[in-house]
Amino acid sequence: MTSFAPTRASLWSRYRLVAVALIAAVAFPFIVGLLSGQSPAAVLAGEAGNAKFLQGLAIEVFILALYALSYDLVLGVTGLLSFGHAMFFAVGAYASGIMLKSFGWPFWVTFIGVLVAAVVNALLFGLVLPRVKGIAFALVTLGLSSVFFIVVQSSELAKYTGADVGLQGAPVPEWIDTNVHRFRVYLITLAALTIAYLIYRAIVRAPTGAVLLANRENEERALSLGYNTFWFKLFALVVSSLTAGVAGFLWTVQQPIVTPQVAGLGWTVAALLMILIGGVGTLTGAIVGAAVFRLLEYYLERWFGGTAPVLVGASYIAIVLFLPYGIVGTWRARTVNRRQGLDRLRRLFGIRARRSQ
Amino acid sequence: MALLSLSEVNTFIDQYHILEGVDLAVGEGEIVALLGRNGAGKTTTLKTILGLTPAASGTIEFRGQSLTNRRPYEIAAGGIGYVPEHRAIFRDLTVEENLRIAEREKGDYAKRKDMILSLFPDLARLIELPGTKLSGGQQQMLAVGRALVPDNDLLLIDEPSEGLAPILIQQMMEAIKELSSDTTVLLVEQNFIVASRLASTYVIIEEGKSVHAGAMADLVDDDETIMRFLGAA
Amino acid sequence: MTTTTRPTVSRRISNALKQNRGRAAIIAALAFIFLSGLFTMDTGDWVITVLRGLAVGAITFLVASGLSLIFGLMDVLNLAHGELFMLGAYVGWTVYVRPDTFMDMALPVALALAVAFCAPFLAPIAGRLSLSVGASRVVGVVLGVIGFLGAVWAFRRFPLSIWDLEQFDKTPTSDSIALQQGVQTVPEPAAWTGSAVVAIVVLILGVLAIVAGFAVVRYRTRVPEPTNARNLIPIAAAVGAVVVLLAFGDPMTDWLYSISTTYRFFLALVVALAGGFALGALIEIALIRPLYDRPIYQLMMTLGLGFIVIELVREVWGRPEFSMPKPALFAGTGDGCPGEGLGGLFSGCSTVKFLDTRVRMYNEVFIITVGVIVLVIITLLIKRTRIGMIIRAGVQDREMVEALGVNVRRVFTMVFALGVGLAAFGGVIAGPALGLSPEMGSRVLLLALIAMAVGGLTSFPGAAAGAVLVGLLQQFVIKAGSTGIPLPWSDQPFQPSPSLVPVSVILLMIVVLLVVPEGLYGREE
Repeated sequence: MTSFAPTRASLWSRYRLVAVALIAAVAFPFIVGLLSGQSPAAVLAGEAGNAKFLQGLAIEVFILALYALSYDLVLGVTGLLSFGHAMFFAVGAYASGIMLKSFGWPFWVTFIGVLVAAVVNALLFGLVLPRVKGIAFALVTLGLSSVFFIVVQSSELAKYTGADVGLQGAPVPEWIDTNVHRFRVYLITLAALTIAYLIYRAIVRAPTGAVLLANRENEERALSLGYNTFWFKLFALVVSSLTAGVAGFLWTVQQPIVTPQVAGLGWTVAALLMILIGGVGTLTGAIVGAAVFRLLEYYLERWFGGTAPVLVGASYIAIVLFLPYGIVGTWRARTVNRRQGLDRLRRLFGIRARRSQ
Repeated sequence: MALLSLSEVNTFIDQYHILEGVDLAVGEGEIVALLGRNGAGKTTTLKTILGLTPAASGTIEFRGQSLTNRRPYEIAAGGIGYVPEHRAIFRDLTVEENLRIAEREKGDYAKRKDMILSLFPDLARLIELPGTKLSGGQQQMLAVGRALVPDNDLLLIDEPSEGLAPILIQQMMEAIKELSSDTTVLLVEQNFIVASRLASTYVIIEEGKSVHAGAMADLVDDDETIMRFLGAA
Repeated sequence: MTTTTRPTVSRRISNALKQNRGRAAIIAALAFIFLSGLFTMDTGDWVITVLRGLAVGAITFLVASGLSLIFGLMDVLNLAHGELFMLGAYVGWTVYVRPDTFMDMALPVALALAVAFCAPFLAPIAGRLSLSVGASRVVGVVLGVIGFLGAVWAFRRFPLSIWDLEQFDKTPTSDSIALQQGVQTVPEPAAWTGSAVVAIVVLILGVLAIVAGFAVVRYRTRVPEPTNARNLIPIAAAVGAVVVLLAFGDPMTDWLYSISTTYRFFLALVVALAGGFALGALIEIALIRPLYDRPIYQLMMTLGLGFIVIELVREVWGRPEFSMPKPALFAGTGDGCPGEGLGGLFSGCSTVKFLDTRVRMYNEVFIITVGVIVLVIITLLIKRTRIGMIIRAGVQDREMVEALGVNVRRVFTMVFALGVGLAAFGGVIAGPALGLSPEMGSRVLLLALIAMAVGGLTSFPGAAAGAVLVGLLQQFVIKAGSTGIPLPWSDQPFQPSPSLVPVSVILLMIVVLLVVPEGLYGREE
């Protein structure tokens, strides 16, 4: 298990990785632009080309990462196996679409409305928390989200949701139109992901996080230590639902159409796959997993066409067999061994091993 | 030569180092008591012998053959019976099925049925009942009886007296005494009085290490050792 | 020291009632729904609805039973179970409609199996190599990849006469229609590409490499189970099958085309059951077993497997839905049809008049009968046999069963294999009634999961009861929906669209789980 012991380190060492990743992410479109012969100004103006296209893909990755992160808090950190997580995302996506389009609400009012809907959704899941545990909780949440999925898809609500086809034509203000201001949307989604990640990391490292982790390891013991685990689990659900709701909101804002697919079991499975690929309970793993998930799907589809899904399935099996704790999890587990190996190599060449702190 | 011998056995459960060097030897026909405080590693020692919590290092030999890297069922099938703590009988099986499931060869149950039922006469009239309907003492008898069905050379018995009424403890002790006439027994027992009356030798486990061993007769008079390792006797 | 206290009799009775209040209320509510139909519907409508419900229940049961046995014994929620059901349906369809394709496939499969069964004899050799962890992995993967490529190359050189998804008159759809209309002709047999001997030898070597690679990784440190002469039996059987297929393949194909569809249908059932069993054993040994200490990764594994199966089916049989004709025994028309009353059951007609309604022999009578027979057989297996005893004990405490000297892993393999076999069998049973589509698997999996949850996740009788309840409720809601459900707050009756129907079963599951989280048959842990 990974430990999240709080460390008294300098600001730089604490945010080193985040800062480097952020700088790289902001520079990324311009580098792609330069490589494909576009000036930075052209990239900023959102001219068609490789840079714009890859930004579009990256925006999807950021939103998926936000969504995967929210699932990691529920499953990886708190240890609640929910099979209805897609509903957290889909409520955000559909609520924003309906509020913008059918109700004609202004953008910011809609955003507030989505947050409210997300909290209500989390409370609905929280309602069943005291009754069912483990796989029963998984099945109840699967049931709740399946009902939502079926209702969203049904012809009865076609006026609002667009039934099978999906919700399209939600009016989005010009300043956040992804076709015009691609780089701006890129930065907004990147900022949303970064903020969410920092908040999540803070939660996990705070005493609250310790209780959540304790709940995952052994709920009985957490209870016997005097923590009312219910409130902690509810807290995790609310935070998670808010994050996933925002992800859904961003999805609606930048996608031309919201299909019922985002409410289905497949979407929950996608979240599960992303955090399993990255490493359960590692937070960074969710982000890495989302990137691998989306890019694998996209590029396998592009290179192999029809047979891609078989390869996607096969890659999952390979990941499970060869990366037992996901990419980040396996990496962390092996860092220790690798350090020892490097030391041995140095000794072999007569170099004194660097003293480890 | 000892029937069973452990030397320098280390066992981990997840990241916890539970056994940190256990040595013990059980001679043919003996009753050996494993003593020690709660959480010292007595139960883990039994489970490690059976391969349920495999040893990370050290050697375990039974009849001169190594048991490391063997799966529990192979170890058990070599002639080791196990009576776990908390009377782990099968609730969904009847008393008879609970006995039958322990058959290693066809006919084991038929062969030893009478012996087991004479040892625990209570079981005879409960034979058709499901495990759920048994009282604690009856479950414990069934758990011991189950270990007697196949032709075992060694019985690992974990806390046979735990949670039993005094009269049942008496009965259980007599049964163990009787069955030990042709079987070797390694016994984990919290109740020192029970252990001291049954066993001929003892091994004390303290924080995952075997720290003391000898003849039971010597220990009974050695108040200092008893106080030190077992708390108030 | 505590002694168990015995509650008084009256306290025990009131406790039992109190504990089962939720169960009683749910069962009473469902009974009310089903019986109230008697007063609001025609008798005939009610009968047909009940029968349809039972038929859906029977198919659900064939999937849910395996799911619940597997989950109960080994804590594996096999999310590929629905897809294996679907795969069974497609394989069964092939045996039934295109026996020539099946016979062509049988040869390489039997050959591969014959080699794969040699695995127990390779394990001790692999153990003696004493490679390091890294080396054994590299050797294993390299052997596996080379073997896989070789096997695929060789397989493509085997003769295979198959349908063509590109030309409409040669698709599975038109094959089905031709059989339905009785105008099917025996297709031309295919020929070997190049030398038959080369193909056979390369296939043998390829599979051998895969098995060896697997053995190297698996038996690096572990002491392998002792080999015994019993391991020779499956090898001999598979070799025998290869010889027979090589010698008599073509006349057997002609014979299969000449016999009645009824016999071919039963052959399809047997093939699906046996093939599912073998596939299940293979999946458990190769993919599930390494993951017993990482349960959530097992979920991902079975999910990945499900994806692969769906795509495989789409690739081989095509995406469109097509039908599977009913076997001759249940498709009689013309003189004396439909049959009347109980005697009509044996008239060979496709439908029977019964209690003011026409009952379809296959959809409503045969499927239910099969469901009941399977229920009885599995119940006997669990209650009366030694392996059943081990299963019941293992559901509660696997460790203790193993400590008694029982090789639980082998029982795991057998239960997993049995579950997959039943699902594949169920797929063939469902085929003629529901048609074949790549989506049929996920639909039945949802129903089966709900049935499991309603009945109690680890309880086998619970899975059966849950499947029946789910089937009945679904059909009654469909029936009520078609006439409209009167609502107290609205003048217009509520007519849900067909897509809303599953909501009813899901709500049933949610209510049951909230009222009795351990399910109707489950026991509180």
